[in-house]
Amino acid sequence: MGRYILRRLISVIPTLIGVTLVIFLFQRLIPGDPAVAMLGEHATEENVARIREQFGLNRPPFLDRDALADGDLSGFFDSQYVRYFRRLAHLDLGDSIHRRIPVAETLKERFPATLELSLLSLFLALLIGIPAGIASASRRNSTIDGVTMVGSLIGVSMPIFWLGIMLIMLFSVFLKWLPSGGRLSIGVEIQTITNLLLLDSLLTGNFSGFVDALKHIIMPAVALATIPAAIITRMTRSSMLDVLQEDYIRTASAKGLAEGVVLFRHALKNAFLPVITIIGIQAGTLLAGAVLTETIFSWPGIGKWVYDAILGRDYPIVQGVTLLIALIFLLVNLVVDLSYAVLDPRITYD
Amino acid sequence: MTEIKIENGGFEDFAVREHRSLWLDAWRRLVANRTAMIGLIVVVVFILSATGAHFFWEYEARADLDYNKKLLAPTLLATEEAPEIHIFGTDKLGRDIFRRTVHGGWNSLRVGLVAVGISLSIGGILGLLSGFFESINMNFRESLALMTLMGASLGSLPAWIARQPVQIFLFAGLGVASVLYDRYMADRKAPRQLYFAILGTIIGGIAGMFVGYLVALVCAILGFVIGLILARPVGGKAFSSIVMRVMDVILSFPSYLLAIAIVAFLGPGLEKGMIAIGVVGIPVYARLARSAVLSVSQKEYVLASQSVGESHGRILFRHIVPNILSPIIVQSTMGLANAILSAAALGFLGLGAIPPEPEWGAMLGDSYKYLSSGAWWAVLFPGLAIVFSVLGFNLLGDGLRDALDPKIRA
Repeated sequence: MGRYILRRLISVIPTLIGVTLVIFLFQRLIPGDPAVAMLGEHATEENVARIREQFGLNRPPFLDRDALADGDLSGFFDSQYVRYFRRLAHLDLGDSIHRRIPVAETLKERFPATLELSLLSLFLALLIGIPAGIASASRRNSTIDGVTMVGSLIGVSMPIFWLGIMLIMLFSVFLKWLPSGGRLSIGVEIQTITNLLLLDSLLTGNFSGFVDALKHIIMPAVALATIPAAIITRMTRSSMLDVLQEDYIRTASAKGLAEGVVLFRHALKNAFLPVITIIGIQAGTLLAGAVLTETIFSWPGIGKWVYDAILGRDYPIVQGVTLLIALIFLLVNLVVDLSYAVLDPRITYD
Repeated sequence: MTEIKIENGGFEDFAVREHRSLWLDAWRRLVANRTAMIGLIVVVVFILSATGAHFFWEYEARADLDYNKKLLAPTLLATEEAPEIHIFGTDKLGRDIFRRTVHGGWNSLRVGLVAVGISLSIGGILGLLSGFFESINMNFRESLALMTLMGASLGSLPAWIARQPVQIFLFAGLGVASVLYDRYMADRKAPRQLYFAILGTIIGGIAGMFVGYLVALVCAILGFVIGLILARPVGGKAFSSIVMRVMDVILSFPSYLLAIAIVAFLGPGLEKGMIAIGVVGIPVYARLARSAVLSVSQKEYVLASQSVGESHGRILFRHIVPNILSPIIVQSTMGLANAILSAAALGFLGLGAIPPEPEWGAMLGDSYKYLSSGAWWAVLFPGLAIVFSVLGFNLLGDGLRDALDPKIRA
């Protein structure tokens, strides 16, 4: 097991290098000069040249072929990509071009907001999806089943940004129950420990802060949870239906076990593997869906940030955030693979 | 012809039943499925209204502007104060939302078809070839084509560094040599890898000399490595795993983020959005096609056609492709739904259709900014259009899955 984990961790490295290459390639190919974007249209040529020098933007993207032809081997490898990679090895994600603040610093500040939102959404999705899937599978072709299936289809067909807008429309504009954006109301302060505001406010016993944070997070979390909840429902249902046809389920029912025991102890345990896989995939969907959700709800996380950065050609931010998301995605998949072994003793890794 | 009467109390005797094709059977099952029929009707209405609007209902988006009719609430009947009927209301520029929504359907339909077309053709072919060669050995010609391609693509790295396109051809030749060696001289006990490594070193080194000694050194080192790789012709399994690794890299980006990045690179516009959504979808179809081919290619009828000596092309297109169509049809239907959603998301972020082009996502993106004015109709109707069309394709896809493969009916 230990060796398997190690091997999987090592196998993540080439994929990550591939990811950095792709990200880098995209950044380079985007039309427009970041130095001009930074200084504005009316910048003098001198200033642009200075900025390009300072950020290494005048270096060739991958390898300097001219330096090699001139017999300069160290110049050959002195490119934007190699510089970027060398800094990455020191966990330095570079500075934001526009605000000139280290990307890693802003990331540390903003990522908890996205994490909090994603975790709450995942929790909501599981809370709705798994019971709905079980209920629908155990009462197949009943009204509950029909309603659940149609509901989950509507869920996957819903553009989450539209759902978000409609929620704001209903609860903020017309009913005025909930705030339409942000993480906290002005004037409310929560002492930060983990920067997950819900958790921090509970830890510090700040009840009014907790309520305020909850009011802010509930709409974006519901919007973000819709698609994962629908997908988890469908997966749980079809996986449960497969398992419920097995002989041991009939045996368990024939022995006279209560339906709940059969469903939860015998069926669910075995139906859970495909569901776990889907949950792993949803982690990526959540992080990416955050771009849309955060834009609508002005949520100060990394989704809104990276969107603005793409439009403003702020390469280091895009590179840092995409790298982080890909890394999380790969690690979640690793955890999913490992959880198979825990849940199903028949699966071993060596 | 004698007529056969069924007299055993309505039981259908399969031996004498009238012949029905697989597709007719599937169609009957689809018609019998109520939710699938709802989906089909929605899809047909969507397609008809979108194409009908495009061809028969003229709309000049650039000229559509009337501040006097700004943000009118929906009306169903003409009254004194509001003589014109806007059943969906008007937006901030006084444009009739109903008209724009119907016309937006054409854009969504186009995006869906083109994006799925891109993903399906590229991903499908890659998956088809990967699955096929993973289970059936390549013949001489196929191996030759693959190794030429591999030699050329590996050779393009030293060719790029030295700015010498000729190196691409030289290394492609090395790939050809590898296949020829394998065919005619494979029984020789010779250090083949060493031969090819030396050959690669010489090719890279000599070509690089024309530019400079350091270039020659770098190209020689690269040539050595390429020679090692090309020494043995790559089999179908290796080819498949290379393709699938590339697909994994694409999949390791969350799809929206990748689509946004691609559009950021190509610049905004509906056509760019189609390409972005299409590219993001490639791995899905590649994986699906590969696994379907793998499951079919061990069937007796494929082995039989192989043993009769049918050509690989014929086996692939006459025996394998028809048998993997149903999962691909289902996935394509669902893929259309996904493409419409993604296009709307891109449009909403301002990366899709360029205003004033009527596109559902862009209409939402336009209107949500003045949400506080209470103009609910400006965001409700384009959103409903998205939900209904996407839901229609999803319902139809679900129904098609049940109809085309009754075994997995869940």
